[in-house]
Amino acid sequence: MTNVLEVTGLTTTFSRNERAFKVVDNLCLQVKRGESVGIVGESGCGKSVASLSMMRLLSKNGSIAGRIQLNGADLLRYSEKEMQKIRGKEIAMIFQEPMTSLNPVLTIGKQLSEGLEKHEGMNRVQSRQRVLELLTQVGISRANEIYHEYPHRLSGGMRQRVMIAMAIACHPKLLIADEPTTALDVTIQAQILDVMKKIQRELGMSLIMITHDLGVVAETCDRVLVMYAGQVIEAADVRTLLRSPKHPYTMGLIKSTPHNAKGQKRLHSIAGSVPAPDHYPKGCRFAPRCEKVMPVCLEQNPPLLDVDQQSECRCWLYRENRESTAVNG
Amino acid sequence: MFWSKQWSMPRLELWEKIMQQKKAKYSFLMMLCIVLLGIIGPWIAPHDPTKTYYEAFMQGPSKDFWLGTDAIGRDILSRMLYGTRVTLTVAVLASVMTFVAGTLIGVTCAYLGGIVDNLIMRIMDIMLALPGIVLALAIVALLGPSQENAMIAIGISSIPAFSILIRGAALSIKQSGYVEASRSIGSSNWWIITRQFIPNISNVLVVYTTMFIGSAILGTSALGFIGLGAQPPTPEWGTMLNEGKNYLREAWWLATFPGLAITAVVFTVYLLGDALRDIFDPKS
Repeated sequence: MTNVLEVTGLTTTFSRNERAFKVVDNLCLQVKRGESVGIVGESGCGKSVASLSMMRLLSKNGSIAGRIQLNGADLLRYSEKEMQKIRGKEIAMIFQEPMTSLNPVLTIGKQLSEGLEKHEGMNRVQSRQRVLELLTQVGISRANEIYHEYPHRLSGGMRQRVMIAMAIACHPKLLIADEPTTALDVTIQAQILDVMKKIQRELGMSLIMITHDLGVVAETCDRVLVMYAGQVIEAADVRTLLRSPKHPYTMGLIKSTPHNAKGQKRLHSIAGSVPAPDHYPKGCRFAPRCEKVMPVCLEQNPPLLDVDQQSECRCWLYRENRESTAVNG
Repeated sequence: MFWSKQWSMPRLELWEKIMQQKKAKYSFLMMLCIVLLGIIGPWIAPHDPTKTYYEAFMQGPSKDFWLGTDAIGRDILSRMLYGTRVTLTVAVLASVMTFVAGTLIGVTCAYLGGIVDNLIMRIMDIMLALPGIVLALAIVALLGPSQENAMIAIGISSIPAFSILIRGAALSIKQSGYVEASRSIGSSNWWIITRQFIPNISNVLVVYTTMFIGSAILGTSALGFIGLGAQPPTPEWGTMLNEGKNYLREAWWLATFPGLAITAVVFTVYLLGDALRDIFDPKS
């Protein structure tokens, strides 16, 4: 199948006070038509910035290098005007905070018509018809009433449904969902994921699901990238990753889920926290927190290499020369 | 139908809130009366404002001339009624000018940021360094004294302060999630400025504009007072005040009534602005 999105060597740098911070480092990613790819990682690992880079929605002090090809066309070559035609029409995005992502002074109908009138050139009557369909599609009953409501009258779950409707209004080829369920309670989370899966199936849309929740990944994704400190450290299809994680960080993440803590009193946790972009260690960025750290880890950052048929991993444990270096503990 | 349903709710709410609060209610009703006087003034004025009554120079308030006559025998009440319209027109049009230009500049600067923002805001700072009335004087001196030029001068001289206030309000909108969300579905800059920014700062806009109308009335009168506003024989409060000030000892009514009118109108406008701020922003 053809790749809808092909990201090669995406590097996002933020500069502040004449210092540059690489927040996303050499990210490579392919998304096939109709496929769901998850990007998992802790807060601050660069997953949101990666998604904003793909939309070219970074603030002015962020610069992007690499290639982002959407259906073969490099997005980084487009002007801002051309990008406006791509956003919403080809790629769309759902944000983490449904409470603040809707304009409080415009009605739901007005906000949903925005993209339709711009991208599809619909008039008000046509767009109204379409908006009502969309609202029904994302599982909002009483679409007719909701059309005239202001956002403050809707619950978080409803608002996120509206955000989904807004994003899919023009049938984008690719939907980027940036932690779409983080701000919602668990039952609503499941409903929202169901709606997203349903719509993805109906539209044959590709999906990039950005999350820190492995449960969400297991639920929705075909393939997963695990990010740590701006780099992809492991990439595999979802079953392989969850059943036989390769990277010590991924193992740690999976061990930390409540599901695996049966009988134990406390949840497993990975000691320490993600280093800030200006304090990345010299060698492997996970080395200071790693249980299986070796001398080579502190010296050199490992490359992302195939471990076997299914997974890629950025770890010295899987190098042929690992025997030659002493294993610590 | 679709429009009325969409917009009627917030409008009704505003009306109800105005009627609930004492300050808002009375200042609003007073403002309404003043505007009404401005509109119907020429029809209810007892005399021709420019006609000289030779038998009645500088007469005190009487049955024929309720507020007396001026130094060349014109009826003060009639002149004031005509003047309401002049003053209000100049002040309101000047404020509209400030409103349009100031909003555009403020919101665009906030939205674009960077070098454009910096450049325009520094120019505004320079203009703001001069007192508004001095700036207005300079503009009138450049264009020549007349009612229209007074209006332009007052409008331009309040643009800096207005646009800086609006920029401040708009900056908080820039960071909001819905602007980002709107960008993510491909909205153009113009759309974001008109549909996301301006509706969200409409509260601030209404309050500031009201306040600026007050200052514009003062400015109009001030320019009239020093002879750079509406030219005689056009009846204008500031001009009347100026004409009356020389006879303050012999004929107090010449300057007192126009002065009271200016004070009352400015007071009402500020009161209304204050009340509107309370309504829109209950926190402060």
